[in-house]
Amino acid sequence: MMSDRPRSHRDLALSRREFIHLAGASLALAGLDGCTRMPAEHILPYVDNRPELTPGVGEYYATAMSLDGVATGLIVESHSGRPTKIEGNPEHPASLGASGPLEQASLLQLYDPDRARFARSQSTPTSWEVLAAQLAPAALRPRVGARGAGLHVLIEPTSSLLDEELLARVIESHPDAHIYMYAPLVGDRGAHGIVTHYDISAADVIVALDADFLSSGPFHLRYARQFADKRRLAQPTDAMNRLYTIESGFTPTGAAADHRFAVRPSDVAGIARSLQSALNGGTAGPPWLAAMARDLRAHAGRSVVIAGEHQSNSVRALADSINDAIGATSRITWRAPTPLIGEHVPVHSLTELVAALRTRAVDTLIIVGGNPSYATPAPFDFSVLLRSVPNSGYVGLYENETARDVRWFVPMSHYLESWGDTRAYDGTVSIVQPLVNPLYRSTTSAEVYAALAGMGLVGSYDLLRSSWKRRGNAEAAWGDALQRGFVAGTQFARAESEGRGSTVEGPGSRVAATSNPIDVLFVADPKVHDGSFANNGWLQELPAPLTQLTWNNAALLSPTTARRLGVGNGVHIALTSNARHIELPALIVPGHADDTVTVHFGYGRAGAESLARGVGANAYDLWPSTGVRFLSDVAITVSSKTSALALAQTQETMEVREPVRHATLDEYRAAPSRVGRRPGRALSLYPEIPASERSATQWAMTIDLATCIGCGGCVVACQAENNIPIVGASEVRNAREMQWLRIDRYFAQRETEVEALLQPMLCQHCEKAPCEYVCPVQATTHSNDGLNEMVYNRCVGTRFCSNNCPYKVRRFNWFDYNKHLSDTEMMAKNPNVTVRERGVMEKCTFCVQRIREAGIAAGREDRPLRGTDVRTACQQACPTNAIVFGSLNEPDSEMVRRREQPRSYAALDDLGTEPRVRYLARIRNTNSEIAGAKHDGGAR
Amino acid sequence: MMAAPARLEPPRPPEDTAFPPPPEWDVLQFDGSDRALTDTLLAPLRGVGRTWWTLFVLSALGTLLFAFTITYTIAKGIGTWGNNIPVAWAFAITNFVWWIGIGHAGTFISAFLLLLNQHWRASINRVAEAMTIFALMNAGLFPILHLGRPWFFYWLIPYPATMGVWPNFKSALPWDIAAVTTYLTVSILFWYAGLVPDLATARDHAASTFRRRVYGIFALGWRGSNTAWRQHRIAMVLLAGLATPLVVSVHSVVSLDFSIAQLPGWHSTIFPPYFVVGAIYSGFAMVLLLILPLRWAYGLEHIITKRHLDAMAKLTLVMALLLTYAYVVELFVSWYSQDPSERFTYFVERPRGAYAVFYWIMITCNVIVPQIFWWKRFRTSVGVLFAAGAAILIGMWLERFIIIVTSLDRSFLASSWHLYRPTWVDFGLLFGSLGQFGLLFLLFVRFVPFVAISEVKRLRHDLKANDGRELGLPHA
Repeated sequence: MMSDRPRSHRDLALSRREFIHLAGASLALAGLDGCTRMPAEHILPYVDNRPELTPGVGEYYATAMSLDGVATGLIVESHSGRPTKIEGNPEHPASLGASGPLEQASLLQLYDPDRARFARSQSTPTSWEVLAAQLAPAALRPRVGARGAGLHVLIEPTSSLLDEELLARVIESHPDAHIYMYAPLVGDRGAHGIVTHYDISAADVIVALDADFLSSGPFHLRYARQFADKRRLAQPTDAMNRLYTIESGFTPTGAAADHRFAVRPSDVAGIARSLQSALNGGTAGPPWLAAMARDLRAHAGRSVVIAGEHQSNSVRALADSINDAIGATSRITWRAPTPLIGEHVPVHSLTELVAALRTRAVDTLIIVGGNPSYATPAPFDFSVLLRSVPNSGYVGLYENETARDVRWFVPMSHYLESWGDTRAYDGTVSIVQPLVNPLYRSTTSAEVYAALAGMGLVGSYDLLRSSWKRRGNAEAAWGDALQRGFVAGTQFARAESEGRGSTVEGPGSRVAATSNPIDVLFVADPKVHDGSFANNGWLQELPAPLTQLTWNNAALLSPTTARRLGVGNGVHIALTSNARHIELPALIVPGHADDTVTVHFGYGRAGAESLARGVGANAYDLWPSTGVRFLSDVAITVSSKTSALALAQTQETMEVREPVRHATLDEYRAAPSRVGRRPGRALSLYPEIPASERSATQWAMTIDLATCIGCGGCVVACQAENNIPIVGASEVRNAREMQWLRIDRYFAQRETEVEALLQPMLCQHCEKAPCEYVCPVQATTHSNDGLNEMVYNRCVGTRFCSNNCPYKVRRFNWFDYNKHLSDTEMMAKNPNVTVRERGVMEKCTFCVQRIREAGIAAGREDRPLRGTDVRTACQQACPTNAIVFGSLNEPDSEMVRRREQPRSYAALDDLGTEPRVRYLARIRNTNSEIAGAKHDGGAR
Repeated sequence: MMAAPARLEPPRPPEDTAFPPPPEWDVLQFDGSDRALTDTLLAPLRGVGRTWWTLFVLSALGTLLFAFTITYTIAKGIGTWGNNIPVAWAFAITNFVWWIGIGHAGTFISAFLLLLNQHWRASINRVAEAMTIFALMNAGLFPILHLGRPWFFYWLIPYPATMGVWPNFKSALPWDIAAVTTYLTVSILFWYAGLVPDLATARDHAASTFRRRVYGIFALGWRGSNTAWRQHRIAMVLLAGLATPLVVSVHSVVSLDFSIAQLPGWHSTIFPPYFVVGAIYSGFAMVLLLILPLRWAYGLEHIITKRHLDAMAKLTLVMALLLTYAYVVELFVSWYSQDPSERFTYFVERPRGAYAVFYWIMITCNVIVPQIFWWKRFRTSVGVLFAAGAAILIGMWLERFIIIVTSLDRSFLASSWHLYRPTWVDFGLLFGSLGQFGLLFLLFVRFVPFVAISEVKRLRHDLKANDGRELGLPHA
């Protein structure tokens, strides 16, 4: 039909017949498509949606985190099968919905790139399965003896019923084996029987005797809530509780106190004795003691003395007798069994293990968790002893100091990727359920004990389920426990109220026998705890409460002591005791007790943790024995070395302006409106936004400075929620930290006392924002619902907005802080929030991603969005509910009701920025009989 | 003093017009012919000596440093500088304002003085104009460099973008863009328009064919006809009219970068006139620093005479007094406001704070040093003028540094107080920009007639016609 000659278009005319031929042939040929010889590979579309799983929408699972063996219930948000944000579990007694910095930051620990990934035997890679076979009783008996006398297991404090059950089986299998339990902050006391509980909500007057009960210790989140609930002051005439804090360092409990007395650690026992005698009419002790005793007595039945957990037995006994005298016993404070295991399995102390090691009676030592080569008192020389053990093994999260001293090592699973169980301080049992499959070839403590007990390789889930059944729980209750995060009705009943504390005499503290007047106080670090969190960037970069120190520990001392020694900030001082010494840079803390130096545990790490290595000095090197709270025979020498401290804030006073308003309760009641005085409306070129352009919800926030204790949970929560990067010590020294929320801290002298004024400072979302009109590219705009928006992809980085922000809450990406993240660190990022690149500004957005998510949910459910539907990350973490967020158009909401208190004010309100964040002035319920009650230059 | 020339008697002006007294120094001392004058003024284009080469190598090294630090900054980020929160602006903006300020004197001398018929400006106005252009070229780089994402700098320019977003015109930074680009454009036009007859002269006297062709291209075919000269004159007056308001407006706009902000120490309405005065002041200092070596190196003391130096020194002194007044007004206004932050910034932070040393150096250089110009001896002493010029430039740089950094480092909330420390990159950019300026200026001196030949020749004829007196009468 076709010829080769080119034709003109007229020649291509087809006849009808030819056309039908062609059409038919094409149609037939089309069918040849089907004649493929490729194998069929079927893909399936994701039509089978689980109704509860929508990509992009988070799921929430309850679990619990165990710190020093005691649980805090958590709800963890999970995206695409991995956890991205931790919140408190509102129904759990230890959390009541709140979470502290350690809980918030534990998420990052799961994704820590320095975590150990492989098991090894010496330096040969191996696997848990191989090592488990070597732990089976049959394999171990030749080494440890028929009754297992050579088998020793050192564990972290735990309250896990499963672990206890399995350890009991290990003992059955090896009757002469020894189990030891140790953590530096739990010491050797908690394993034995009885602990003290408090009901802070029943107390009107509280004396904290070297007890940081508001921000550390088990149940601190709960106590903080109970404490704050009695200080809401909705009306000036409302009642308010009163807290006296007697302490050496400056803790959040000291900052929250109405009266804070700085006392040397060696004087605490004397104070307790004087207080007891004062209650009986004695006059010994400092001038304020008598007034405090009178106050306690006047509120008998509603007053309590809390002695810190690390106090000696004698001090605790004194506190007990005082509580008896003022009627607090069994009403406000009572005894209960410890949640830590030890009832069904004999548990020994570290001292006994060291003795066994020294006599070379240890053949096999298995260390599960903790870091004893680092976190033990220096005289024990644990690292050296450990290296001499013939068969030593360690199960841990990192290849740390302990891992270096053992023969074989297995990575441990993080709690967010493990099955297990744990108990809260009051005994409430929680199931720990994983949110992601273990990232690495790791194992859990339960699996290790199961192998030791001869059960072979059994997974934690199976162990837990069978244990659950064996405990007599119904199968239906399992689902309930997983869903709610705890098992109802498992809290302990109270123990005998006459219990005089533990039966083991704590080693107490060395009594001063020399003329050297400096005490050294050993304290857990509020950020890295005992060192377990040293590799956590969020915590290292969190400005320490009250000191604002990051990426280091320091020798904290008072201004007077510093002057006497001739040191300034950053000057190194060496502390020597019994031929051991450490060297630390000095940091002056107003209000710190004189002639005292506070050192924090947890620094001076030397393991594989890259962030922690070389940061700070190891205070364990100076620690003489477990349970020692302070040393009195310490020699101090000033070194010529200095280091620059990475302080997030260097100013100690408010200087020119007064962003934190404060008054005593008496002053407030006398003139309520003077505290929250508002200047007249400043003239502004800003046009008023017409009502038609305002949406129904107008977001705002109220922060109560009377209940903020400065714990820093909100800061880490914000960092976790909003993908805020860490920048490192040298950048912090150059004021380039990235946290959107910071806690400003000012000191004020009150005659003999020093008051700390804390103020969480975040973007104020000003209605007349000074940052908006200066941005040349309109990268910061105002939304209809009152948010000051930051448009990252429009920002060119002129930083004019930061210059014009009087609150300096805007942060700039000076470098590519997010560029060199490991794969696992990227998994920690919240997928609902942009990760900002170099050169753009960022700042608090009032968690706009949560607002919009709630708005979408409301739209789907066809109802208006309520202010109470949204909780910002900072609000959700705060243990005292100091931060409340909501809509201005809901006059009945908590946020608006607080805002209308007479003591509410806006920071820097005379600048005319009209912020949406209001602060409630800090009110101290002072005792007028005590000298520091007057506010010199307080509310003017 | 010139000998009585043999010429036709000039027409005498009417008797009742008062002649200004003869000037103490001649504004131009040249006895030879016009041709000789032209040769003298074209001599620098024929070759350069060792001094030029030394300075050229130094400037080239500076320019390389500049290029390196710019690349480093863009590649790594603004983090390589010393900026932080709160001090988010420091060296880069100081350099920006300093360079733009320097540029103002050029326009003042060429355009403003042209409109005022100050014909003595003829021998220095091209140098001044060139200085302006090269200063602006430096200045224009810094606002782009200091951006966190400089590759998006064009978002500050109003153009119909696919994003549908325009720049925010309430902010002073887009005004800056408009002001600086306008200024650069007009300055280049003005400079080039004035240059055309001189390029033609260079073309006509060119030594080689290549040079003749190159100068010929840039001379745009100038033939020197009467009509051309008349149109040229009109064009220059018009361009001068365009450029003169820029002397006031550009730096006013730049100062608004600060005064629209609410920082203590920035938020002051005196900033526009204060900055304009400071700009002209620093510009005069830079002009002095440029013409003194030129005049020495090329033997042009009879073209750029003591009369010029005297006039420049007097103008400098006037600006110094105005600037001192502005300082006093600032202090008064801050005290009068009763605002604690304002008072803190002016009376505590600046004179007694962390940067107090620089504050007092600034006061010395800007207020005290120019007072020597009350004495005629110092007004015409080359060494004193050079030293004073350098001091004033340093003082003016420090003034911008003090204004920016001491208002940012300790503002409203004490919790964010933090000092600023520059890094080597900051210094590299500053000295690098000086290097680039030097490089461009040296090339200008080498290849372009830096004394306005036609204008000097006209001035000479003026003087001859009026007995050595410069009457300041407008030209036809």
